[in-house]
Amino acid sequence: MIAIQTEDVDIGKLITAAKQRGTGAIVVFDGIVRDDDIREMELEAYEEVAVPELEKIATEAKKTYNLLSVDIIHRIGRLAVGENILIIVVSAGHREQAYGGSRFIIEAIKAGVPIWKKELRKDGDRWVPGEHQHGCET
Amino acid sequence: MTVKIRFFARFRELLGTDIVVAVPKNKGLSDLVKDVAGRNKEGYDAIFDEKGAFREFVILMQNGKRLETSDAPEIKVADGDEIAVFPPVAGG
Repeated sequence: MIAIQTEDVDIGKLITAAKQRGTGAIVVFDGIVRDDDIREMELEAYEEVAVPELEKIATEAKKTYNLLSVDIIHRIGRLAVGENILIIVVSAGHREQAYGGSRFIIEAIKAGVPIWKKELRKDGDRWVPGEHQHGCET
Repeated sequence: MTVKIRFFARFRELLGTDIVVAVPKNKGLSDLVKDVAGRNKEGYDAIFDEKGAFREFVILMQNGKRLETSDAPEIKVADGDEIAVFPPVAGG
């Protein structure tokens, strides 16, 4: 499942669905709204571009790390502290592949997928600066 | 012909988004963005420097494909194009 959506997902169900006969390891990355003295986080995406880019990242991760399955769900809209922002579930035969594939996916998302976060802070709102200034690394 | 401009994140807050504009044939992409961004000084200044060049962090797309901002003055827009203008991404 590759999606950008406002709704949360049932991570347990994703893990169950990711278990295949050849699965020896599943790695779950769950990015969460941290309490950095904020009220809420607001996320937006250029969905028509971001979804195909997530699909491309998943395909590349599968090929490079020999993954059996990849799920990427990135949430948008207003999220409270403690809510899930990004869930990545990868299934692989061995832990090295699963850890490597999961790390590859999160770094690729941060580098280039057109999604933005705004912190709604008690002392004023702030757009979160990107880690990659040009956003063109993918 | 018409072209749609989509701004995202801070640029959207300053300039709006999904702006459909009628443009003449052979309109340059840079000039088009300047025209639309020029409706709001703060929005214009967020995207362009004092010399009228795209600020180095600005990302441009034409129909979902990234462009180098340095190439934008030479690129012409076509009928039905979707131009996206946004700051560095910060997903994850």
